[in-house]
Amino acid sequence: MRRRRLTPFLCAVLLLLAVPAGRSPSAAGRGDTLRIGILAPLSGPYASGGSSFLQAARLAEEEANAQGGVLGRRVEIVVADTQGKVETARAEGLRLVSREKAFALVGAYLSEETVGAMEAAAASRRILMVPVAATAEITDKIRSERARYRYVFRAGYAIPQWAGMLSAFLAERKIRTYAFVGAAIRWNRELAKALKASLSARGIRSVHEAFYSPGNPAFDPVAVAAARSGADILVLGDPGKGSLEFAKRVRDFAPKLPLLSVGGTLGDGRVAETLPATAPLFVQAAAWPGGSPEATRYGEAFEKRYGYPPSGYSDTLPHDALAVLLAAVRAAGRLETDAVVRALETGSFPAVAGAYRFDPATHQALWTGGPEGLHGTVISWEPGGARVVYPHPRPPRPSRP
Amino acid sequence: MTGPASPLVQIVADGLFTGAAYALMAAGLVLILGVVKVVNLSHGAFFTLGAYVAYSLSVRGFANPAAAAAIAAAVGYAFGLFMGRSFINPVRTHPFSVAVGTLGFTLLAEQVAQSLWGPHALSVAQEPPLSAVLGVMIRRQGVVCLVVSAALIGGLALFLRSRHGLPLKLIAEDEEIASAVGMDVERIRALTFAAASAAAAVAGALLAPATAIAPTMGRGPLILSLIVVIASGMERTGAVFGLAVALGILSSAEAYLLDPQWSYALMLAAVCALLALRPALPGLSGAGSDR
Repeated sequence: MRRRRLTPFLCAVLLLLAVPAGRSPSAAGRGDTLRIGILAPLSGPYASGGSSFLQAARLAEEEANAQGGVLGRRVEIVVADTQGKVETARAEGLRLVSREKAFALVGAYLSEETVGAMEAAAASRRILMVPVAATAEITDKIRSERARYRYVFRAGYAIPQWAGMLSAFLAERKIRTYAFVGAAIRWNRELAKALKASLSARGIRSVHEAFYSPGNPAFDPVAVAAARSGADILVLGDPGKGSLEFAKRVRDFAPKLPLLSVGGTLGDGRVAETLPATAPLFVQAAAWPGGSPEATRYGEAFEKRYGYPPSGYSDTLPHDALAVLLAAVRAAGRLETDAVVRALETGSFPAVAGAYRFDPATHQALWTGGPEGLHGTVISWEPGGARVVYPHPRPPRPSRP
Repeated sequence: MTGPASPLVQIVADGLFTGAAYALMAAGLVLILGVVKVVNLSHGAFFTLGAYVAYSLSVRGFANPAAAAAIAAAVGYAFGLFMGRSFINPVRTHPFSVAVGTLGFTLLAEQVAQSLWGPHALSVAQEPPLSAVLGVMIRRQGVVCLVVSAALIGGLALFLRSRHGLPLKLIAEDEEIASAVGMDVERIRALTFAAASAAAAVAGALLAPATAIAPTMGRGPLILSLIVVIASGMERTGAVFGLAVALGILSSAEAYLLDPQWSYALMLAAVCALLALRPALPGLSGAGSDR
């Protein structure tokens, strides 16, 4: 009797556990496909960002196939869960190349795990497109050990570029003092340091800096201290779900304090609309619908595919990383890693956030502004939705008679 | 700015409110451990369920925290009853099966939540703070948490002391005797499991406005509740409440006073020390239990 009752329950649990997170390995090795390995944290504390990553990669895959594929081949992404760990990222990167026959890799998400993915790319001599991780270690390694890491390219912004975009916005808003609070992870500390250097050059002073532990995120005391700092604006350095909880606390203790989030969770309209609109809530993003025709088209496609709009960061950058990689393969004209590396080093590849060009020495995408270049954007959440506030959308050119 | 007089005072207040919700969850675990005699690793999934119930209600315009808690209790009870009858009762004498099964249920629940609501963090609007008393910010949701938690845990303590709680106490002491005197032990166990699951769902619904709602959000509270139950023992509901609140305050105070990279490790070290000293600490040794 007991066994009869138990069997359906255990079967359901076992069936569920048996369902693979990615695609079946049985599809591996098909000759008419171009396989790209995706390394993203699909479990662990950054699974939300990893899921956005995967959604965007799927969208880029579908777009490429809708255009007839690449070099006559159908694009197929093969997915691995890095779990946010360096060793897992390295091992899964090697597995995607050796067993899944991935031509190139896109990933990972966190700076720490991306360093592991770089080792996999170097060992297997496959291209790695880094979409999100911002640590200086990535470009430092490419510069100093060129022969080993020449296959690594970063599509996302580097820490100094990120700080530069944030500080340009703050300077334009005539901010005098700011507070910085973020999750105590590596790139956040690097961002705080770079932001301080960038803003001090513009005469903007840091009055408070604090980090909360991702493992023990007791937000209240950190929010209390930030609220007491008297800053003109609070820069929130956490693209994960911690930013939401922290923003709620800050709204309690300092309802009039403007917030500038570096992106991620607070770029989700479903989340942003639950915060009290007592003070401005700004979110920095790689691109945003309304900022450019391509960003608008991407936003509409993403929303149609997934039922809600993109966040402009953890989805847009991976989308562009894969789109740029595929464009470079097309430009190279053949499935040869060295040829694609050369194409990436010399070409310009339009995507959602703008035209991607890479610095030949560091393989860093040039987020340095300019009309056609990559410049990022800042939005303001207002009743009814988001509005692009930086850079100012250019007025249409008057037509000549 | 409406700021508090002292961050440390605010920490104590917030630890009290948040700890109250975790106490409710821990009280459910105590019931399951005492009566059903299993370590339920799916308890966090019921916490998550409660939070998603609150979210689902809020997007439909029902944002009352007490109503959300009541509906979460009903949903948690129904799922708990199903699980208690279909899985826990049949395998409860095999600890390994219980551990694997309840862990599997947690993963199943996380997958289902991800399928239904997506992988991203969701949010329930938080009502404005009630007021600042002596510079300390009092949140409406925190007060609701404290009142509901204290009422339910107090009610549980009174129930266990009353004539109606006798079957639970007897089953906890000796289920063979309970069975011999005509009690439907299986049914009482399933109902206890359901009630404890409802308590976890209520805790999730109460904390939903203050937190980010995500499929894996129940894992942290589960660990915290297990720590509370282990440290307080299974016999004293008052100790469960006190320890959950103390842990909430300790966690916040450490995060404020220490570097973030040390605060979590030091909190775990404090808990380990508490466990090691537990037999020697008055009030935590299990002597003089409510039961």
